[in-house]
Amino acid sequence: MVPYFEFQNAVKLLCGELSLERIAIELELMGASKPLMLSDAVLAKIGTLETVVKAMAAEGVQPAATFTDIPVDSSLAVVDKIAAYYREQGCDSIVAVGGGSVIDTAKGVRLVLSQNKEDILSLSGLDNLVRGKHVPFIVVPTTAGTGSECTGVAVIRNDANGVKMEFLSPYVEPDAAVIDPRMTAGLPPKATATTGMDALVHAIEACTCQQANPLSTAYGTAAIRAIAENVEEATRNGSNKKARFAMALASTMAGISFSNSMVGAVHAIGHALGGVCHVPHAVAMTILLPHVMRYNLSHCGAAYAELLPWLVGVDAAMATPADKRAEAAIDAVVALGRSLNEICGIPLTLKDAGVSTEAFAKVAEVAVNDGALIVNPRAADEAQVIEILNAAF
Amino acid sequence: MMRAIQALIVAIVLRVVHAALVELRVLDSRVAKEFERMPDGLSYAIATGYQGPTLYVKWEGGKLKRLAALDAPTCSLRIKSMPLSFQLFTGQMGLSQAYARHAFTMGGEVADVMRLARLVNLVEAYLFPKVMTRRIMTDVPETEVCFLRAYARIAVGFLTCKYNLSK
Repeated sequence: MVPYFEFQNAVKLLCGELSLERIAIELELMGASKPLMLSDAVLAKIGTLETVVKAMAAEGVQPAATFTDIPVDSSLAVVDKIAAYYREQGCDSIVAVGGGSVIDTAKGVRLVLSQNKEDILSLSGLDNLVRGKHVPFIVVPTTAGTGSECTGVAVIRNDANGVKMEFLSPYVEPDAAVIDPRMTAGLPPKATATTGMDALVHAIEACTCQQANPLSTAYGTAAIRAIAENVEEATRNGSNKKARFAMALASTMAGISFSNSMVGAVHAIGHALGGVCHVPHAVAMTILLPHVMRYNLSHCGAAYAELLPWLVGVDAAMATPADKRAEAAIDAVVALGRSLNEICGIPLTLKDAGVSTEAFAKVAEVAVNDGALIVNPRAADEAQVIEILNAAF
Repeated sequence: MMRAIQALIVAIVLRVVHAALVELRVLDSRVAKEFERMPDGLSYAIATGYQGPTLYVKWEGGKLKRLAALDAPTCSLRIKSMPLSFQLFTGQMGLSQAYARHAFTMGGEVADVMRLARLVNLVEAYLFPKVMTRRIMTDVPETEVCFLRAYARIAVGFLTCKYNLSK
């Protein structure tokens, strides 16, 4: 066990039925009444944003402004633009409705505003910021994967160099996160499957990286069990509220876990694939996980073995010889990916995701500079990253 | 008293780390490659504990200059206490372990810390015996030349005032 650890989660979780209707009172309790609504064009079009706005309006809070032009891979420029818009519109709080890109963008906006800056680039770093002004901030995740509603990191693309930058500070954490089953009810099967696998990656990396600690592992293992038990059903039968809610909670628990113990090489390489080749984050996570686990096996076999009961159940784990449990854990992850592939056709190789081997050198160069690699159980240089990429191709 | 001794040792090691980076750039191809890729003007400020020793270095004109101060470093690291600084700079804790233990704060881009982490790992592989480095790194890099060559070049460098402050 790591000889020293820190654990923080200051996010108030509003979980379950009719959570959306509680956003208004939460804003009021924070002294806010003029929220800026942040979302993306798709969620605005399909009515998800409207559902949230209506729930807020019914309880007496109307948005002061709305911004829905947030792209899939948001950028520093978008953050700065929204911060300026917030000031122009005289808003006093932020409500973000969306997946990882929307939430991380909102975190960046909140950081710029609370630190009273014009641009977010000047705020990059690790635990280096003072608290700043309080800007009430509520997030409503619409996927069950990123866990971003409970993490102290915002990952935002720098268009100047194509690199996804990490802003690590407890002050990016929202004040509250709303986990309402209505928000993921309409998530398509492929997105359900890949974001579910993204949450699984968060949990597995959080439990096995150098920063893992007893509290983060408690959240991580609970998340792994919930995902293993529910992701196939949620993908196959999206109207199953129980499975949907279990996945949403699992995603949040995985987020709390990795926010307090970091992730690892799956994320380092995945961020690079996103930055260089524009592979969607959750797809990259799904493809890379078993290959990185195999790469790490020599250095954290015991930790993988301990995950087996959470992945396949206690009986199946106990029936597996102790010296085979680590490999069995990897096999379980592979089997889960294949099952999801059969259900909804998610890509399982980089080739299927449209990545060219010509990009591998650049991906590797970017990956070794990603902060997620620093606590991976096994060091990786560019050549080793390329080996992993080749295995995943 | 203990803190003062730790601070003195940390100050010495910081000087040696700078010297080692200068010399390993010549001796080790991986260090040379890191510097080749380093943008001109990139600078690091490393502070240790409250009012502890500092190291300011800047990569400029093909040289890693040691400076008395830096107004706006590209990357600034602040080790949170002197005991942690002592552990970090005496081979008791690696940089990745320091990260895992929340031992420092950082201003700037994470990518620059990763660059520094790779360089520090290589420096430690030369300066510390394997029995120490195995405890602080998940994978200890192999040295490309005998560590004695690095020590010899560093000793000569100090004797010839090669690592003095640049203007």
